[in-house]
Amino acid sequence: MPRVEFQHSLDALEASLQEQGALVIRAVRGAIDALEKQDVELCDEVIAFDDEVDDRHHRIEKSIELILAQQAPVASDLRLVLAVLHDSLHLERIGDQSVTIAKLTKLAAGLETRRDLVDGLREMGDRAEEMVRIALDSLQRRDVEMARSLVDLDELIDRTNRRVTYTVLEMASSPGQQEWGMRMIVVSRCIERIGDHAVNIGQQTTFLVTGDFHQAIDSAH
Amino acid sequence: METGVDPKTIAESSRSIVTGTRGTETVFDVAGLSVTYGSNLALKEATLEVKRNFVTAFIGPSGCGKSTFIRCFNRMNDLVPSAKVHGAVMYHGRDLYGAGVDPVEVRRRIGMVFQKPNPFPKSIYDNIAFAPKVLGMKRDLGERVEKALRGAALWDEVKDRLKENALGLSGGQQQRLCIARAIAVEPDVILMDEPASALDPISTGRIEDLIHELKNDYTIVIVTHNMQQAARVADMTAFFSVEVREDGGRHGILVEYDQTTKIFTNPSDKRTEDYVTGRFG
Repeated sequence: MPRVEFQHSLDALEASLQEQGALVIRAVRGAIDALEKQDVELCDEVIAFDDEVDDRHHRIEKSIELILAQQAPVASDLRLVLAVLHDSLHLERIGDQSVTIAKLTKLAAGLETRRDLVDGLREMGDRAEEMVRIALDSLQRRDVEMARSLVDLDELIDRTNRRVTYTVLEMASSPGQQEWGMRMIVVSRCIERIGDHAVNIGQQTTFLVTGDFHQAIDSAH
Repeated sequence: METGVDPKTIAESSRSIVTGTRGTETVFDVAGLSVTYGSNLALKEATLEVKRNFVTAFIGPSGCGKSTFIRCFNRMNDLVPSAKVHGAVMYHGRDLYGAGVDPVEVRRRIGMVFQKPNPFPKSIYDNIAFAPKVLGMKRDLGERVEKALRGAALWDEVKDRLKENALGLSGGQQQRLCIARAIAVEPDVILMDEPASALDPISTGRIEDLIHELKNDYTIVIVTHNMQQAARVADMTAFFSVEVREDGGRHGILVEYDQTTKIFTNPSDKRTEDYVTGRFG
């Protein structure tokens, strides 16, 4: 098959994205573990770990710049390169959300907590982590159905996010828990955004496979 | 095929079309076109429509029949004794191969620019003025020459040396001179067979800019090996490929014809995908 080097560079690009994905999944899990266990040390690790995610993102961007300049990809090659570019940015943002969760956890350390809320956030975090995994798998398998399933999964996270808000509002009568509750609203919002990014990665899979951007966008609504 | 069409009817029919929106009107309607050279089948049953004021590109590997195909649009294959054309080429609804059609009139209405610039060994002015003179378009000849050179984006570069030999121009200038020569007789269609393949990147860019300008006034059909060029200049793109027969013989076929953006972002046929992404062969 001609264009062997080009194919190698596309394969390497995709592998690099999956590696970035694996790092980001570790970051999400670390942030949620730290939140659940109130582990400040682990929070610091998650915050520091983000440099690796960013570094991987910049390397992918650089590779794509070279591929576009040297290989002028078209058709499915072009869609793959564009999908990886978008996906890498979404992963980088998921990494940033994990850092925010870790920072908020540090700020809330030592405050009075509510177990049911922590369990709810744990559940949301687990779902978000699973969604990122499914999004990356959908790309690897070129599986449009898998990508579309993310929309329903995201709805579950959105619902929990709304529930967290109501729970915190109920906590207004407990002054000791107010600050912690306010910070947990932002944590909940961060997890909800992680779910959105996973849906966006799924859209890119649909676009890559079908070549129809509108179909990809519609699949998320 | 329809016969007995007065050549002037073709000219009138194309000249009468002065209104219309880009790409809505059919200039060429080709149906089941096959071309043979002696007993060799070169192109098998190509069917497509070329729209007015569109740039239509033909791409494909060597031997796919794209140059053979474009030569059917102004009956250039008539000049090859063994060539036979089967099927229909309708030009504004008239049969281009009808018995009464004058090939010379056809080539006035449907001009052609070739891969290698081929100016006459005459002055720049005479190169442009020659065809109009022969065709009796002698009124305001100087203006006609200037208009053609302006239309081909060459006027500013040659206006002070119109009497100099055209062979002294650079390759890119010579090719634009050939385009000026083609438009000097006010054609309806310009066929371009690899017009930039012998030119450097700067001259190629100028030709591509010129194609963008020219499509406002003309319908353009271009054969190119440079896929990025097709992606840049064409509204519609036809991909031709080579089909191998059971007896080992090979002939060209039209695989896919669609909007250029579709061909280069999401082609329908895997053979097109393999070719435009460079996986062909």
